[in-house]
Amino acid sequence: MKRTYEEINAKIKRGDAVVLTAEEAIRLVEDQGIERATKEVDVVTTGTFGAMCSSGAFINFGHAEPPIRMSKVWLNGVPAYTGLAAVDAYIGATEEREGDGMDYGGAHVIESLIAGEAVHLRATGRGTDCYPRRDIDTYISLKSVNQAYMYNPRNAYQNYGVATNSSEKALFTYMGKLLPHYGNATYSSAGQLSPLLKDPKLRSIGMGTRIFLGGGIGYVAWEGTQFKTNIPYRNGVPSSAGRTLAVIGDLRGMSTEYVRALNFHGYGLSMAVGIGVPIPILDQDMMANAARADEDIFAPVLDYAIQSRNRRPMMEVSYAQLRSGTVELFGKKVKTSSLSSYYKARLIAERLKRMIDDKEFELNAPVVPLPEERAQRPLEVCSMDEVL
Amino acid sequence: MSKRKFNLYFVPALVNEPITYVLVKDFDLKFNILRAEVVEKGGQLLIEVDGKPAQITKGVAYLQDMGVKVEELNEFVTKDEERCTNCGMCVSICPADAIEMDRDTWKVIFHLEKCIACGLCISSCPPRAMKLKT
Repeated sequence: MKRTYEEINAKIKRGDAVVLTAEEAIRLVEDQGIERATKEVDVVTTGTFGAMCSSGAFINFGHAEPPIRMSKVWLNGVPAYTGLAAVDAYIGATEEREGDGMDYGGAHVIESLIAGEAVHLRATGRGTDCYPRRDIDTYISLKSVNQAYMYNPRNAYQNYGVATNSSEKALFTYMGKLLPHYGNATYSSAGQLSPLLKDPKLRSIGMGTRIFLGGGIGYVAWEGTQFKTNIPYRNGVPSSAGRTLAVIGDLRGMSTEYVRALNFHGYGLSMAVGIGVPIPILDQDMMANAARADEDIFAPVLDYAIQSRNRRPMMEVSYAQLRSGTVELFGKKVKTSSLSSYYKARLIAERLKRMIDDKEFELNAPVVPLPEERAQRPLEVCSMDEVL
Repeated sequence: MSKRKFNLYFVPALVNEPITYVLVKDFDLKFNILRAEVVEKGGQLLIEVDGKPAQITKGVAYLQDMGVKVEELNEFVTKDEERCTNCGMCVSICPADAIEMDRDTWKVIFHLEKCIACGLCISSCPPRAMKLKT
């Protein structure tokens, strides 16, 4: 049984493609077996809505009269990077507003723009013969700017560790508040709904793959930063953090339902980004992977009290265990919390399914596949000679 | 019988009064201490009182006569449904099991009646959906 992208898209155009969410696909395979499910299903939709720190947006503000070459830019008081052409800037999700700590930052600015709100722009420049203006104080919105697109260097992690804390004091981390003495355990992946876990070797996900991004349509731009393939597998699925995606998409068309500024007390800011990827059921192998359930997907438990990049996993737990609300660590029942919203992940998979059903979304083969082999390198403190 | 929650504030001079003993003995009230702390300005006690409505009223009057500032706790924390993403970060943080994940809908349910007003969910909520009632 083989199926091509062309066949799937022809069915989508005719309105008779069979599209299931990953949860529905799991149930179908349980009921009818992999062979029948492969024949029946054309596309399986996935979704995730987690904290994705490596996110941000490029904005071109347009030229003022007289024009300015912006060398410093603040959006609602949050510094944006402008070491680019005169009126281009990049606002990073984790950048904090100057002067008032960790309550407001780039993620909030992006959320405001998507909400259609006015955002205060202040910029200064040196003043040149071609750009005489030295400062500007005005407002922008998605209506007023030229381009405004999200470009996120690392999103949609293929699996991620579970965080816990053996120490005597609470830890404030990007995995949330970790209570002392293994008081809780937090995890991030959407497990059986998570895009890159449903196509573990990325046979169908590569450069140019059309995806659901933040409520609109986006694309896979590149391998995500820290993309790695030298990872352990269990039941054919990565059992620790692996591949990642760099994604791109227009802020216009996105919704604050699927992009949300986050604030991790004692750590800093992040942004929840909703991502959904359609998995084409090209053959039985694709179906088997797309139908892998939480019981068969495992994640390593890491002790965040060890402040080192070399934390060794204490054990592995399945997403079924994590989702049950407690896991057992050293004989102790430990409460779990998810940092990503399974509710929203499900909503995204359902939304993407509806978009395909409504002929608003077609699938495409990757322009270039992402790396088959990639190891993640550490950063060493070394001399100029040693680094070469 | 009814259950009500009160925050009691003591000045340092009252810290040695056996007021909880009197509440039990003279007013037949059952109570559960949810939180207690002593700071420079005196003490603070969060109690849940269980008893006949009339007795609770009398007990509160007694406390006020003694010079204890009594504040009923109705709604301390609220959940902004619009802001909440239903991630569930707060679920493992809440010491009172007042926040629950519904495993069918995967929505976070906040049981106000179990809330002990510790405020831990407020600082640990990533989208800042748990808020102090103002």
